[in-house]
Amino acid sequence: MITRLLIANRGEIACRIIRTARAMGLHTIALHTDLDRSAPHVRAADESVAIGSYLDIDAVVAAAKSSAADAVHPGYGFLSERSAFARAVEDAGLTLVGPSSTVMDQMGRKDAAREIAVAAGVPVIPAYDVEGAPESFDYPVLVKAAAGGGGKGMRVVRSAGEYAEALAAARREAQASFGDDTMLVEKYVESGRHIEVQVIGDAHGTVLHLFERDCSTQRRHQKVLEEAPAPTITAEQREQVTAAAVALAAQVGYVNAGTVEFLLDNASAKTYFLEMNTRLQVEHPVTELVVSVDGAQLDLVELQLLVASGEPLPVTQDQVTLSGHAIEARVYAEDSFGGFLPQAGTATHVQWPTGVRVDEALESGQVVSTSYDPMLGKVIAFGRDREEARRRLVQALGETTILGLTTNTGFLRALAATEEFRDATIDTAWLDTVSHEEGPLARPSSEIPRALAAWAAAPRPDGDSPFRADGWRMSGENAPVRIDLDPVVVVRADRIDQTRAVELAHHTDGSVFDLTLALDGVAERGRGRVGRHRIEVVHQGQRFVFERPDVFASHGPTAGEGSLTAPMPGTVLAVDVTEGQTVEQGQRLGVLEAMKMELALKAPFDGTVTTVGAAVGDQVALGQILFVVEGADGA
Amino acid sequence: MGMPAQTTEDHGMQALVEELRERTARVWQGGSQAARTKHTDRGKMLARDRVDALLDPGSPFLELSPLAAYGMYDHAKDGQHDDFAVPSASVITGIGRVEGRECVIVANDATVKGGTYYPITVKKHLRAQEVARANKLPCIYLVDSGGAFLPMQDDVFPDKEHFGRIFFNQANLSAEGIPQIAAVMGSCTAGGAYVPAMSDETVIVKEQGTIFLGGPPLVKAATGEVVTAEELGGGDVHARTSGVVDHLAEDDAHALAILRSIVATLPAPAKAEVDEVEEPVADPRELYSVVPADTRTPYDVREVITRIVDASRFHEFKQLYAETLVCGFAKIWGHQVGIVANNGILFSESARKGAHFIELCNQRKTPIVFLQNITGFMVGKEYENNGIARDGAKLVTAVACSVVPKFTVVIGGSFGAGNYGMCGRAYDPRFLWMWPNARISVMGGEQAASVLATVRRDGIQSKGGEWSAEDEEAFKAPIRDQYEHQGSPYYSTARLWDDGIIDPLDTRRVLGMGLAAAANAPIPAPSYGIFRM
Repeated sequence: MITRLLIANRGEIACRIIRTARAMGLHTIALHTDLDRSAPHVRAADESVAIGSYLDIDAVVAAAKSSAADAVHPGYGFLSERSAFARAVEDAGLTLVGPSSTVMDQMGRKDAAREIAVAAGVPVIPAYDVEGAPESFDYPVLVKAAAGGGGKGMRVVRSAGEYAEALAAARREAQASFGDDTMLVEKYVESGRHIEVQVIGDAHGTVLHLFERDCSTQRRHQKVLEEAPAPTITAEQREQVTAAAVALAAQVGYVNAGTVEFLLDNASAKTYFLEMNTRLQVEHPVTELVVSVDGAQLDLVELQLLVASGEPLPVTQDQVTLSGHAIEARVYAEDSFGGFLPQAGTATHVQWPTGVRVDEALESGQVVSTSYDPMLGKVIAFGRDREEARRRLVQALGETTILGLTTNTGFLRALAATEEFRDATIDTAWLDTVSHEEGPLARPSSEIPRALAAWAAAPRPDGDSPFRADGWRMSGENAPVRIDLDPVVVVRADRIDQTRAVELAHHTDGSVFDLTLALDGVAERGRGRVGRHRIEVVHQGQRFVFERPDVFASHGPTAGEGSLTAPMPGTVLAVDVTEGQTVEQGQRLGVLEAMKMELALKAPFDGTVTTVGAAVGDQVALGQILFVVEGADGA
Repeated sequence: MGMPAQTTEDHGMQALVEELRERTARVWQGGSQAARTKHTDRGKMLARDRVDALLDPGSPFLELSPLAAYGMYDHAKDGQHDDFAVPSASVITGIGRVEGRECVIVANDATVKGGTYYPITVKKHLRAQEVARANKLPCIYLVDSGGAFLPMQDDVFPDKEHFGRIFFNQANLSAEGIPQIAAVMGSCTAGGAYVPAMSDETVIVKEQGTIFLGGPPLVKAATGEVVTAEELGGGDVHARTSGVVDHLAEDDAHALAILRSIVATLPAPAKAEVDEVEEPVADPRELYSVVPADTRTPYDVREVITRIVDASRFHEFKQLYAETLVCGFAKIWGHQVGIVANNGILFSESARKGAHFIELCNQRKTPIVFLQNITGFMVGKEYENNGIARDGAKLVTAVACSVVPKFTVVIGGSFGAGNYGMCGRAYDPRFLWMWPNARISVMGGEQAASVLATVRRDGIQSKGGEWSAEDEEAFKAPIRDQYEHQGSPYYSTARLWDDGIIDPLDTRRVLGMGLAAAANAPIPAPSYGIFRM
């Protein structure tokens, strides 16, 4: 019997788990680092224990014991799939809300998982011996780390000639990321959809499936949009994957919630087992929204806690039914239209949409750092059918307003609005190949947001003074308001700039404005903040920042052509040069790491390094000058 | 203001307003298309654009006499008369908000005869300074002028109220603590050089503004020295070497931004709070229908008052006494005002009532609004014998000695001594505006023609001659025509007898702006000359 639950996680998933646990009458214990002292998950819990790192197994177990917890929920990420952690929890005499360390060991390694799958009769992708003759493989093949996940240590190889180099590179990455460079080679499915089945097993031998999800909209193997049920599979395929998933879980005596991932080969319509995730998934809400028992939605965390307590699953497979459609979008602090660079800063204003499910842990005034995962929350829309869910998602993302830092909300909205997503014609590689320069996923035009910003910044023409700002002129047309957003935007009562007819539909003033204008008859909504030096507007989920030119603002020394500045906040991993050193164009000067990305900083031209602005291990701010190279010709 | 709404009963006012808007639109263009293109091709902003960019975003602009010089300087080409030869008298003046405070702006329009000063240009510039002094408003000069219009130098240069007075005023306004700020955005030659030099703080636009007492041609003629305008008195010279200016701007926009920044550094004036503003209950648009365009048609002036005062509330004073002069208190844009409005001819008791009311306003430091529609004081033996001149003098004394801000709107006729008693231009109202139906002259054209004809007939008859009805009519017609022409509000506004012709719908607005501007200056204690008892 679980009475005191420690949640070994943070952010939205910690909040999500606490919500159900508290509803079940459990006492909840959060963990927090210094940075998270007053984070939403800490306030949501009954109590909280300080910890140095969410990844410190000993510290987490110690916190669980000191707070007299009898169970630990790991959430996703962090320690959730570390068998060492599961073992430590078990050894401490506590219950882990998840599978046993043994099962985690088996399923966590892709090679072991594959063998189990084969044993369970689950179809797997043809594999080859890593050390086998590369000429004998059926290309393209995929080289991937046995211990991997999240796209790390993976390479697609299209010919035997590239094989050795790709294998070596993937190995290095695997070693760096997982401390294990064991590699696998398998047939690469050129075009496929990512189908995964939610399963849950109890300690009494029952394993149920809760139907499937489709997570084919991926960017570099990271899921972006997830939905349930899968829109393209046949009843037969559904039967195949769900049966296979249950068989696999049963094979290992799986207890608790897990996800079995399959690749649906568009060419052959075959499904292949990919891997099993031995935890609650980020995208579990889409399943919760479409799966019900006697008309009541299932709560996966509740089921997890029940089976962890040793209770049998309260439902049978026959009772579980599927209705409607749900789509989830992951909201990240990243500039999707600017190279997907991670963003950090203070979320000065946060307004999540209503009418949809939002699992989030971001509130106004919260500092978003690059120390943790950049996911801010998830917006999950439900509809009677997929199109209704999709339209609601587009609408909800368009209503999401986060000021202070840039998020991918506008990108998600644009993505959910594409014909390709609407028609479910995409495959897992689509998002990596689609143009970000033009078309629906290009950086959106700032024209309408600029008009909204200018209107919001224009002084209100009403007011109790004859000097009110209506641009009144004697016996002539009122003068327009000129708002300098570089260029100047001319705002009149009935139009913006020369041509755009404007009619005010709605305006709420305050520290954050909410403005709807009919621009040439089309209602456009913007929410934002007008500052003395800049105006922020979120339009259709996308944040735009317009600087207001100030001829008096003294500009500090500006970075010249030869300056290399930090393109994002991060940590300096390497500094290869010293001041005074001569460098060649393209030579690596150093490496910056931020948000799991390593960025090599290279000399823009031949010259001499005149400044080295940071040392290895330094945390650097966005825009900080890291290196200055002076051209050989004195440029 | 959008287009006025169509009213059911239009007495011709709307056509007059339409004419006003057309003429205003014409002067807004400034100089010829060629001159404007030449100006903007040099990277310079047009004068009105400069004013707009200087003002706070959305600030209204209470322009002064935009139709100055209308029909006065006829640079006829091909025998064509051109009323718009010198639009706005080549200078734009008015009150607008800069950095949240009301300022007087004087902007030369270089597209009109090079921004040179005609006699009326000088008068308009001096009038703007007078407005600044009376209301204690900072002055901002946007200088782009070739100086005096040389062909008319005798009417521009030597007299007391001529060009030199501009600098006399600058010195004395500065002495009174009224900031004098200038931006040199073009030529600033000869006497004009003193506008920036006499200012408290001065900006110049690089490679565009020039300041010198004698330009390159004059220098060459005088000393043989060959020098470019830029070397002689360009921005760099004055900002770095001579010290004539204080700030060097990259371009017009930068110069205007610097001006705004200067204004932002000025100490804020202490202004009294105003009461909550309420719009009139009676629809101001009905002014078009309730007021006859023909000044000879009588109507109740309360129809006007109710459409310009807050909540249409009017606390009338002596309502039952001397009914031809309506007096009372009201609020306009939250400012308490006393209103004196004609409702017929002035009798002795009307004059006494008016004098009493004006004394009340002065005692209470309440600004006075005169709604002028007066054919004159009553004439005739009975009235003269009863001393109507004595009572008229009381009213004139009270008006002349008033220390509170006075605002005059000529909403109909402005004839004879009625003009004096109702605070005509000579009585220093802070602002004087005319409706487009207004008429102004010493007496009506018909009366003047009759008076002169009577004198003439007496002369002819005393010599035993006879004057036929036809001859008399031929004598009177040109007199009537002259009065008709000179009594026009356009004739008046061209000569700066007023601060502008206004759309009646704007009456409340301009009064409000005038009251707000006047609130910048303190009101002294009242004192009067001898009231003839």
